[in-house]
Amino acid sequence: MFCLSVIQHDLRYRPTCLASLFIRLLEGSLNVISNLGLCVSVYDIQSVEGGFIFPGDGASTYKVVFRLVMFRPFVGEVLIGKLEASSESGLKVSLGFFNDIHIPRHLLQQPCTLGKDGVWTWDYSGSLLSLDIDEQIRFRVSNIKYPPIPVRQEEDAKPFAPMEITGDIYGDGLGLVSWWEE
Amino acid sequence: MKIIQANGGVLTNFEVLSFLRSRGVTVDPMGCLGAVAPSECKVFDYLVHTAACTQTRESINEFMKQSEKFKLAKAEKLNLINMRPSNSAETYSIIEQCDERMGEGIEELVKVVVGILPPPQPQPTEQEDEADG
Repeated sequence: MFCLSVIQHDLRYRPTCLASLFIRLLEGSLNVISNLGLCVSVYDIQSVEGGFIFPGDGASTYKVVFRLVMFRPFVGEVLIGKLEASSESGLKVSLGFFNDIHIPRHLLQQPCTLGKDGVWTWDYSGSLLSLDIDEQIRFRVSNIKYPPIPVRQEEDAKPFAPMEITGDIYGDGLGLVSWWEE
Repeated sequence: MKIIQANGGVLTNFEVLSFLRSRGVTVDPMGCLGAVAPSECKVFDYLVHTAACTQTRESINEFMKQSEKFKLAKAEKLNLINMRPSNSAETYSIIEQCDERMGEGIEELVKVVVGILPPPQPQPTEQEDEADG
């Protein structure tokens, strides 16, 4: 679920400590990069050029080329996360470092019914298996999208997520990890 | 900011975990402060509870060699290494068109996975925690 991406960035930097360059490169808006995924870490720095001081500026500007470790699962990849919430629309899953994973109701194991407590239950040939909250869940990535930043958001709209993963638990081996343990 | 190369290579969970360890990330969140970014700590915390925690470079290389006969796609091998399935049901979801391509061979694939890649560390149960305390 991780890969490397090569990025070039103009960095305005007071070169006091090279060790913090790693952190500096990750600061600011380098969290989700559209179509690249979620930044995890700076893998290495490939080149540093420049050091020009622009008029009216007290610091130098460097052109840095570096590789980032990105979280970007592929479509079809199977991941394990924690089932955080359950509702009529489906399930919400979290990996701890990434929380915007949604499994819509039509991609659950079938047949599945929603109980009064908001918990889905899968009828597996007569055995009723419930999708309990806080359990480990194995799901397959079916889509990743990077919605554009909304110009205006309604007050009660859910918080904007720059990267959204849609998953499915439709098939053998998918669903709660405990269902398939021997 | 300019993207020079969007996909510069895929990393296994083991490689990311090894990299984070070399960066000085540890399980203790207080020990991480300052030198390490919060994203690194959170990813480390996730990976340390997966099969990657007990894997070695040698076991992954051996698995790549032994799994050649199954003619798996790169993505499938990556997924098998990361997930380390322990039975055929868990393996089924990882292999595309599993019935047509593997048939009965899936049991042999599971044996290769289980035999070469080490199992993940068992999570401590509540009773064990109470006994230690």
